[in-house]
Amino acid sequence: MFGYIRPASQRLNDAERARFRAAYCGLCRTLGRRYGFAARFLLNFDFTLLAILLSLGTPPRVVCRRCVAHPCKGCGAMEETAALDAAASHSVVLAWWQLRDHIADHGFLAGLPYRLAALLLRRAYRRARADAADFDAAVRAHLAELAAREAEQCASLDRAAEPFAALLAKLADAEPDAVKRRVFAQLFYHLGRWIYLVDAADDYQRDAETGNYNPLRCRYGTDGDTLSEEARRALGETLDASIRRMASAYALLDAEEWTSVLDSIFYESLYGIGGAVLRGVYRKPSRLRRARTAEGETV
Amino acid sequence: MSDPYKVLNISPNASDDEVKRAYRELARKYHPDNYHDNPLADLAQEKMKEINEAYEQVQKQRKTQAAYGSPQGAYSYGGASSYAGSSSADPLMQRVRAAINSGDITLAERLLNEAQEHGAEWSFLMGVVCMRRGWMDEAKQYLQTACRMEPDNAEYRQAMQLFDNSGYQPAGYRGFGSMTFGDDACMRLCAGYACFSATGCPIFCCI
Repeated sequence: MFGYIRPASQRLNDAERARFRAAYCGLCRTLGRRYGFAARFLLNFDFTLLAILLSLGTPPRVVCRRCVAHPCKGCGAMEETAALDAAASHSVVLAWWQLRDHIADHGFLAGLPYRLAALLLRRAYRRARADAADFDAAVRAHLAELAAREAEQCASLDRAAEPFAALLAKLADAEPDAVKRRVFAQLFYHLGRWIYLVDAADDYQRDAETGNYNPLRCRYGTDGDTLSEEARRALGETLDASIRRMASAYALLDAEEWTSVLDSIFYESLYGIGGAVLRGVYRKPSRLRRARTAEGETV
Repeated sequence: MSDPYKVLNISPNASDDEVKRAYRELARKYHPDNYHDNPLADLAQEKMKEINEAYEQVQKQRKTQAAYGSPQGAYSYGGASSYAGSSSADPLMQRVRAAINSGDITLAERLLNEAQEHGAEWSFLMGVVCMRRGWMDEAKQYLQTACRMEPDNAEYRQAMQLFDNSGYQPAGYRGFGSMTFGDDACMRLCAGYACFSATGCPIFCCI
């Protein structure tokens, strides 16, 4: 996935931030323990959110564990749960197929980094495939559908986003409760739709330069390398429609101790991230900036 | 029935004003307008019923009203949006409306695709089908077309209005639209910390 989603940290107190971090560390540990060291690099916020949502109703048990990141005093990490296991196996499977897709899209030389990454991830993928066979089949079908949309230069945002949205909606199958499964299916569908469209907006300029398929170019028909003001407004409206659908689904869940974290995501930070991408001011944290923030500076 | 105070998310010691405020906030959250043409509308309706009952029970317990019928200031839930379609003269469109009401979106879509004429009602019902499927961009385009073709139709206008303005956000949260969110928004979203992988190679991340 893409790692766009994060809570609005100014809304959270220290305990709530620590709880989110524990979920993040818990997912990292689960990835490492189940799928080996290379899989830890796949850790991202989007799957942390999925793990949190899937674990609602199971009180999180946080244990202090040492890892190389925190070798002395250790850090609080959520203990492995079925939700973390599901998030870990699904993120490995999805990342693997995204790598395969990149390899197919690039020539031999340009594709070398992806080939190397795939080599490192091969064992992890084989294990994850055994744990999430249905999802593996769904991802393959999704990529085939996505390729078909690209080939036809699909100008409908909804049809273009449908394969990825439906893929994420499939994650709801991991939930045993029927009502929650319905709510999750709706929430994850719009999460997938939102991520797909935000990513398309984020890649707009690069796709304009390389000539790659971008649904926004086909839908809004602009020739330049940025979206027109009118197109951005229309895209903003449709992104917001998905956020509201997510929020209305989330309202039906009992978030308990996760309320502040999830409220900050569904009622605020998604609008902020979407707005930043639309205005072209969203930056995935660069290594330098991430290093600075790691030293305690709040950005 | 479960503890009404728990349903309203308040303590049993809460004042009458606090009870009313908590109830109003929940009613705003699960208001039918927020679930218009949403496949989860029935769940919101159940939730609203539960909240109304809890409020009623608390009111009764507190005996604030001597002659007490229905909860004071309670919201009634009109049920999931219905497309009974008394306005529809076209028998095919009536069948589409019936299919939508019964939740059979696939049938509704198939019937719409069979239609020869694509008038305002056809566009409107296509918009409704798209909304149910979560195809929000196409839904909006169809609703706009319906409103353009028949600007005086109250049903189409209301659907358009709800599409643009419905949704719940608790008080105090900033922005209710990506385009209206503050310019510095993304910069405030994260405070970082570092995470090191097993070999000591830093993976920096941002929370």
